[in-house]
Amino acid sequence: MAEIRGQGELVEVLVDSRERRALLQIVDRVRPMVEQSNWAFPRAYEDDELEQEFQRLAGADLAVSRQADLDTLRSCLDQDSPIELTEEQTWSWLRALNVLRLALAERLGLDEDGWEERFSPRQHRRPPLATLHLLSWVQEELVAALPPR
Amino acid sequence: MPSLGHPRIAPCALRPHALGYAVVSAVQEGVAELTETVGSGETQERRDRPWKVIVWNDPVTLMSYVVFVFRRLFGYDLETATRLMLQVHNEGRAVVATEPRERAEVSVAQLHAHGLQATLARD
Repeated sequence: MAEIRGQGELVEVLVDSRERRALLQIVDRVRPMVEQSNWAFPRAYEDDELEQEFQRLAGADLAVSRQADLDTLRSCLDQDSPIELTEEQTWSWLRALNVLRLALAERLGLDEDGWEERFSPRQHRRPPLATLHLLSWVQEELVAALPPR
Repeated sequence: MPSLGHPRIAPCALRPHALGYAVVSAVQEGVAELTETVGSGETQERRDRPWKVIVWNDPVTLMSYVVFVFRRLFGYDLETATRLMLQVHNEGRAVVATEPRERAEVSVAQLHAHGLQATLARD
């Protein structure tokens, strides 16, 4: 059973090889949805002209930083050694997990609070909802493991 | 399992991207031009008015994560960050900062990088 815990300034992610493979598969399957997600790339302005200008200035950097976070998450999972994250790496994971969850939820049409009640317990235990719940669990545990500031 | 008793670089790679700083730089470089574009025909008083940074609710982002992001980006204490997060959750949106336009755009870019739904509006 996976465990995530703080160890001094590091965050330790204890996952066995089967869990690593499962997480890697999830990252690889959901990642293509990110580029098509409106939630992953929200507008800054209602006004179209202002929005275009904002995107001209900041849009490319957002895409680059997003891919870098996803690369960090993937590279950490795709190795044999124990996963020990610095605070900055932990934030990369958090951002990457959040955007994966947003993209998956958008694809599933989970667009209102209370969406959990639309599904049966059985549906919650099976893909794709189980995938969303697993990503949520990892993100929640990472937040809990971050050193207090 | 190796000892974790002291800080060190974890073995997996951190992809270099300097989150936020590239965005900050790009926004700051272009803000004068942007202000010119937007400001034509406006009074100086209106141009100088601060802008609101608004965070909008979404149905999946974790509350605990939002609190951490607010604390990290704006330096809020736990109580303030939690109050703002609950306002987003319960009311659908919250003004998390009121700043000069240039700074507000940077804040929104950083919030977007963290996966939050954020917009700017005139105060």
